Amino acid sequence: MSAIVFESVHRQFERDGKSFPALDNVTLTVADKEFVALVGPSGCGKTTCLRMAAGFEAPSSGRVLVGGVPVTGPGPDRAVVFQQFALFPWKSVEDNIAFGLRNRKVPADERRERIAGAIRLMGLEGYETAFPHQLSGGMQQRVAIARAYVLDPQALLMDEPFGALDAQTRVVMQEELVRLARVNPRTVLFITHAVEEAVYLADRVAIMTRRPGRIKEVIDVRSIRAAEAWDRHERVEDVMDLESFVHLRTHIWRSLREEKVGGER
Amino acid sequence: MRPSRRFFVGITTIAALFAVWAVLTMVTGTVSTGRFPSPLQFWESARQVLTVGYADATLFAHALHSLKLVVMGFLVAIAAGIPLGLLMGWSRRAEAFVNPVFLLIRPIPPLAWIPLAILWLGLGDAAKIMVIFFAAFVPSVINTFTGVRMIEPHIIEAARMLGTGRRRMVREVLVPAASPMIFTGLRLSLQASWTTLVAAELVGALAGLGRVLNVAQQDIYPAMVMVGMAAVGVLGWATTRLLAMIEARAMPWLPARA
Amino acid sequence: MTADARPPSAAQTVGLGAVGLALFVGIWLALTLSGIVPRQFLPTPIDVLTRTFELLAHPFAGATLPVHVLSSFERYAYGFLLAAAIGVPLGLLMGRFSWLNDIVTPVFDGLRFIAPIAWVPFAALWFGTGIGGPIMIIFSGAFPPCLINAYRGARFVDRNYIEAAQMLGTRNMRTILEVLLPASFPSIIAGLRVGAGIGWQSLVGAELIVASAGVGYMMVQGQSNISTPTVVAGMIAIGIVGLLIDVLLRRLETHVRRRRGLA
Repeated sequence: MSAIVFESVHRQFERDGKSFPALDNVTLTVADKEFVALVGPSGCGKTTCLRMAAGFEAPSSGRVLVGGVPVTGPGPDRAVVFQQFALFPWKSVEDNIAFGLRNRKVPADERRERIAGAIRLMGLEGYETAFPHQLSGGMQQRVAIARAYVLDPQALLMDEPFGALDAQTRVVMQEELVRLARVNPRTVLFITHAVEEAVYLADRVAIMTRRPGRIKEVIDVRSIRAAEAWDRHERVEDVMDLESFVHLRTHIWRSLREEKVGGER
Repeated sequence: MRPSRRFFVGITTIAALFAVWAVLTMVTGTVSTGRFPSPLQFWESARQVLTVGYADATLFAHALHSLKLVVMGFLVAIAAGIPLGLLMGWSRRAEAFVNPVFLLIRPIPPLAWIPLAILWLGLGDAAKIMVIFFAAFVPSVINTFTGVRMIEPHIIEAARMLGTGRRRMVREVLVPAASPMIFTGLRLSLQASWTTLVAAELVGALAGLGRVLNVAQQDIYPAMVMVGMAAVGVLGWATTRLLAMIEARAMPWLPARA
Repeated sequence: MTADARPPSAAQTVGLGAVGLALFVGIWLALTLSGIVPRQFLPTPIDVLTRTFELLAHPFAGATLPVHVLSSFERYAYGFLLAAAIGVPLGLLMGRFSWLNDIVTPVFDGLRFIAPIAWVPFAALWFGTGIGGPIMIIFSGAFPPCLINAYRGARFVDRNYIEAAQMLGTRNMRTILEVLLPASFPSIIAGLRVGAGIGWQSLVGAELIVASAGVGYMMVQGQSNISTPTVVAGMIAIGIVGLLIDVLLRRLETHVRRRRGLA
């Protein structure tokens, strides 16, 4: 079954009384428990796609469905991980993670159990009562991911979640996310502009054109990952050294670069 | 070592000013004590108003009276102002609805309400509470409103994607996120409350620190004026400190400020 | 961030505002015309307008409304300019020389919590109730924001500017005039705006208590003659002048900020 579906989605923006096309006929399907990364030149509308799935924005025409139901507004069945973390600074780590569960009126016992699970999963033991500002960027993003994961959502929507982290923390978090995807696979729509990150994490990578954004090409990474046995390697850099990885990465780079040149013409 | 130097300089300055004050008024007589009281006169007036009383009551009773009015007016004003600010910040429609009336009332300085308050409610406590209300209401609305508008959109989007209902959105997201600005508003409101109260009591009152000032002015008793001013300053300082303590308690998530 | 998925259109904004305003005026009219509140206490909007126009031509409490406004404004201008002329340079110097800051701050902090209006008896005693006393009250209201903002502006100027000036061998005086002053200009203007507002309302307060001319005096006279329309007319005049002062300084502030690329 398809978890996230974009059905010929168009989106116009209005500015100064004029209307600009931002998305042009985007059609994309993310299967259940599949990890799809969306890459594209900046301003191509990839974040708009994610925000539509989240229910923060609506398409001008076309439909966005999650779990077969058209999206009408934001809700905890589609958890979002923001680039700027968006933790509640006045709540402790624990209370941040608890927030969505309390909205769902999950009983206290079960809530405690699930929070403890999420804290263990993200390696946040010992930081339960800390406030966000006391944590490093990487730790804060772990809390944000835990806050999303603990809801057991139908879809996880990640908007450049590692964009605000430094390069080393970023690598650690990428490995962490791959580990999570093995232990606890989820339907993920992942926005990034880092090609390596997309190839490393995703089952499929969708490339968008420059504005107005369309899906230009969808690349199946999973079959190559399985065939070339990427999973034998634990470290990012080892995977990124593999010939098959380099090949894919270069292919996507070329595809994106055509877009950028096109944009300058 | 900087703080200790600063402390030293501060103490020295105060001591020097005090010495100059004492010398000019008591030794050389350069400044007439009929215009500016000497430290001794200040001390004697303070003792008089503390023990015997002045203008029909002791200093303590006057201060308590003023404090009570400020607290009451302030609380009523913020109880109305903060919710209105939240509503106007949260909904542009509510803002559009309230704004013209608010803009009409806002430029009128709170002190300008005093004659009207006296016409309506006389010289008693009710008139004071009314003008304090107008003084404290406007800053609490404006700052709460600004606080809500300045909230990081991601914070609200995060709450919405977590399926937060309206009441929890207000209690656990809007209010805490806007609370630094809300407290700024409260500080301004408190200051305005004191100014307005003193002015209202100077215009006419039956008790309170403003009445001490007023009677002392009519008696041409500068030392008592100075005691009254000192009392106003101390109470203003104490209530501001109290608010700052509440502020620190209320927002433990903020990094400690230097 | 607001809850509105789509902001209301311009027409909706105007419409909602008109409804709110109509409701306000409607309640006012209903209260007065129905006789629930005696007109002596709450005049109708029409009474107020009539009285305002009357006051434009016919003197009350010794002068017409414009003359009262003018005499208030004259005192105000002196007091405010004095506060700015002392507060801004002192604040800048305090931001530049920390020893001066160490000396002034304790005194300033000691006086800060005394409401400006509490100076009225001394102001009257020292400078009389004509023009000197009110000027001192306005000064005591407008001075603190002028000082504090000039100080903050100078204190938090990017160190690089000062170091660049020093590296170029600039003397202290030029550093203050040509680096510190322009760099802290946005903050100073903001302080002037706040000070102007507090000064204006301090003046009104002073005129209510001790004065023999000015809008505040006119209102007190209106109050003792139980002429509520006069009092409300005075409030309107005070509001309008205060608003004009604020709009003017706000313009200046936006202008300065825009030139600095801050707005």
